[in-house]
Amino acid sequence: MIAHDIIVIGGGLAGLRAALEASARGADVAVISKVHPIRSHSVAAQGGINAALASDDTWEAHALDTVKGSDYLADQDAVEILCRDAPERVLEMEQWGTLFSRTPNGRIAQRPFGGAGFARTCYAGDRTGHNLLHTLYEQVLRAGIKVYREWLVTKLVVDNGKCTGLIALHTPDSKLEAFKAKATILATGGYGRIYQRSTNAIINRGFGISLAYHAGVPLQDMEFVQFHPTTLWGTNILITEGARGEGGYLYNNVHERFMSRYAAGAMELAPRDIVARAIQTEIDEGRGFPGGYVHLDITHLGEKRIQERLGGIRQICIDFAGLDPVRDNIPIQPGQHYSMGGVSSDKNGMTPLEGLYAVGECACVSVHGANRLGGNSLLDTIVFGKRAGEHAADHISGKETPSDETYRGALKDEARSISDLMGEEGENFAAVRDELRSVMQQDVGVFRDRSGLERAVEIISQLIEKGRSVQVKSNARSFNYELLNAIELKGMLELGQVIAMGALVREESRGAHYRTDFLERDDEHWLKHTLAYQTPDGPRLEYKDVTITNFMPKRREY
Amino acid sequence: MVNLKIKRQDGERIWYETFQMEETQGMSVMEALFYVQERLDGSICFRYSCRGAVCGSCSMLINKVPRLACRTQVSDARSEMTVDAVQWGPLARPAVRFARDEILIEPLPNLKVLRDLIVDMEHFYELLDHIKPWVSSGKEVPEGGNLMSPELEQKIEVYTNCILCAVCHGSCPAAARDETYLGPAALAKAWRFYLDPREHEQEKQARLEAVDNESGVWGCDVVFKCTAVCPKKVTPTQGIISQRKQIPIQKIRKAISRGKKHEN
Repeated sequence: MIAHDIIVIGGGLAGLRAALEASARGADVAVISKVHPIRSHSVAAQGGINAALASDDTWEAHALDTVKGSDYLADQDAVEILCRDAPERVLEMEQWGTLFSRTPNGRIAQRPFGGAGFARTCYAGDRTGHNLLHTLYEQVLRAGIKVYREWLVTKLVVDNGKCTGLIALHTPDSKLEAFKAKATILATGGYGRIYQRSTNAIINRGFGISLAYHAGVPLQDMEFVQFHPTTLWGTNILITEGARGEGGYLYNNVHERFMSRYAAGAMELAPRDIVARAIQTEIDEGRGFPGGYVHLDITHLGEKRIQERLGGIRQICIDFAGLDPVRDNIPIQPGQHYSMGGVSSDKNGMTPLEGLYAVGECACVSVHGANRLGGNSLLDTIVFGKRAGEHAADHISGKETPSDETYRGALKDEARSISDLMGEEGENFAAVRDELRSVMQQDVGVFRDRSGLERAVEIISQLIEKGRSVQVKSNARSFNYELLNAIELKGMLELGQVIAMGALVREESRGAHYRTDFLERDDEHWLKHTLAYQTPDGPRLEYKDVTITNFMPKRREY
Repeated sequence: MVNLKIKRQDGERIWYETFQMEETQGMSVMEALFYVQERLDGSICFRYSCRGAVCGSCSMLINKVPRLACRTQVSDARSEMTVDAVQWGPLARPAVRFARDEILIEPLPNLKVLRDLIVDMEHFYELLDHIKPWVSSGKEVPEGGNLMSPELEQKIEVYTNCILCAVCHGSCPAAARDETYLGPAALAKAWRFYLDPREHEQEKQARLEAVDNESGVWGCDVVFKCTAVCPKKVTPTQGIISQRKQIPIQKIRKAISRGKKHEN
């Protein structure tokens, strides 16, 4: 049995920032992750991180943009923290070594991003996530924080209504181990891979979110799924919003800058939900290219600027699409990108389960509401990662973990459920997973309606049944990926169910949740957060109020 | 149809196994490996995460060239000429063969194999830890942040683009023969931190001293193999050469300043 004061699950930006803060405050903290931290999906973030750094910008303006972008579903007290803390957190990353792009006078460069009234997105070329994550990992090494690499957490241990640690499977030898912790911080990222088309890393299966769901914690606003407007056709690798921020245009098959018909003011720099719908409409109405895409054109920026500021996506286009955006248009289509919803948590990352925190994409604070602005997710990770690490470290004194017996029982349960998964017969995990991904794409995507959502709910409940008979044929002890996939599949199915049900019940259109049968936002009935609780019969939905402080809901126009 | 000939290993047992599949449009070697894992043999293992050449998980030897599986297209790999990169040198005759719709996949060289295509990265990470890979700046953030010229930023950026995939390590003849050699990735990083203006002068000096030995910059064969295989266009050899040049300069500076102190 392994014990630490605080265990952070996940080694992406939110997790490492939390660990660093807890460690700086003297707590014995460890990070546990199914991959080495620098393989986490944060590394793939491209465009940037928002902070009102300029003397003529203000955090209040950033907050207004964020709230309006969220279609007024964000909790405004949390948004205030996000935007107010932003400059300090970003400058701290700079101090720790992040290699931000620079203005001619040596300051951190900032670019315009969608839905923002000011060029406040700080960036490191188009490799911002890479630079931030490597910096935090470097500082974690410097602080001497213990990192358990290649461990899949399979269960949270709950004792007397408190989260007291976890059970994890050590991938290299498939051994189960119990970890005792006075506080556990979930920072496991999103679930993009439950969709067929997603920008997310293959490892983003949302399993951390389902761990909390199983521990009785409600999932909040899960029906709000961000579809990024510009993902590379075919592989759906992200093509940063920075490409439009730097001046890129979107064209349909008659070379029309079609955004003029959807957001005449902001054009290509309207928020993501609006641009994604515009592109999907063009494709659906026959103005896309065969195969279902439109063009993103950055050729007019010139090779020098493209290489300096968008060198990463240039390379991606060369490697994965065989084209060079210096000369060629980029074929793009919308794809699942980010989860606004997640484990319900507060301004300090605390969940309703004592001893459990959640931060980053796996959490819903909520600062993104119904639609996240580009550049706010990286910010969310370091602002709330820091706060959770701080809060957890400041509140562990006097806390005890239960006796070894509790953990032994949990270990035994996990060992049993894993051995139940092994067998020659049964369904193949990949077949069930692919069906899930297909129905999510088809019926719980950019455009939704009742009949599609009802179909999705029905199919997913059948898949959950089918999922029970999945068996793992490989009995390899070392790096048994078939087993890891089978374990995580269960969580993927449940998240799909929560998303589809939440979307079916929410009869309005708000931010990224767009119902073709309920086209308008309905503040009277739906200005509220969804909370989904696990029950044996599937999710139970409850609702709670949105915190509104300064910005009264208005019609959202760009 | 395309064949994947995969080197497999489980404990002491080593064997090659060939899997056949339909090549789909735009299929990467990683996708082909997933096809094997999900449809043909669930026991095969390899590391993966982003599938977009940014996370550095899927390094392996494909047709004898160390590279990322996600970034390698099946359509290219199935018909390319293969040269035994490990034996390549001024005197050795390269073993050249033309693939016939077969892609040869083996684990990344110069690291211990744990199983199939998964190598023990621990050694690689430890080498990196040796150079203290972090900016050791203080807590006090200067008002408005540190300033840095765009020119310097771009000079450092060549090295910060490293994704620690260890492809360079797998190509390095010095790493192959000397376990203590820090290797291209760590030495390139060392130069990255040396260049960083946020790093204290004293730390910078200590950095150069730490690599001024055979396990450091003097262990390099200067054959640019790492630079040739890097998927992110990092130039470790250039970084190593720069440190070799900087070391004597620093020694002279130090001698002069010691002399001055002595005069005082």
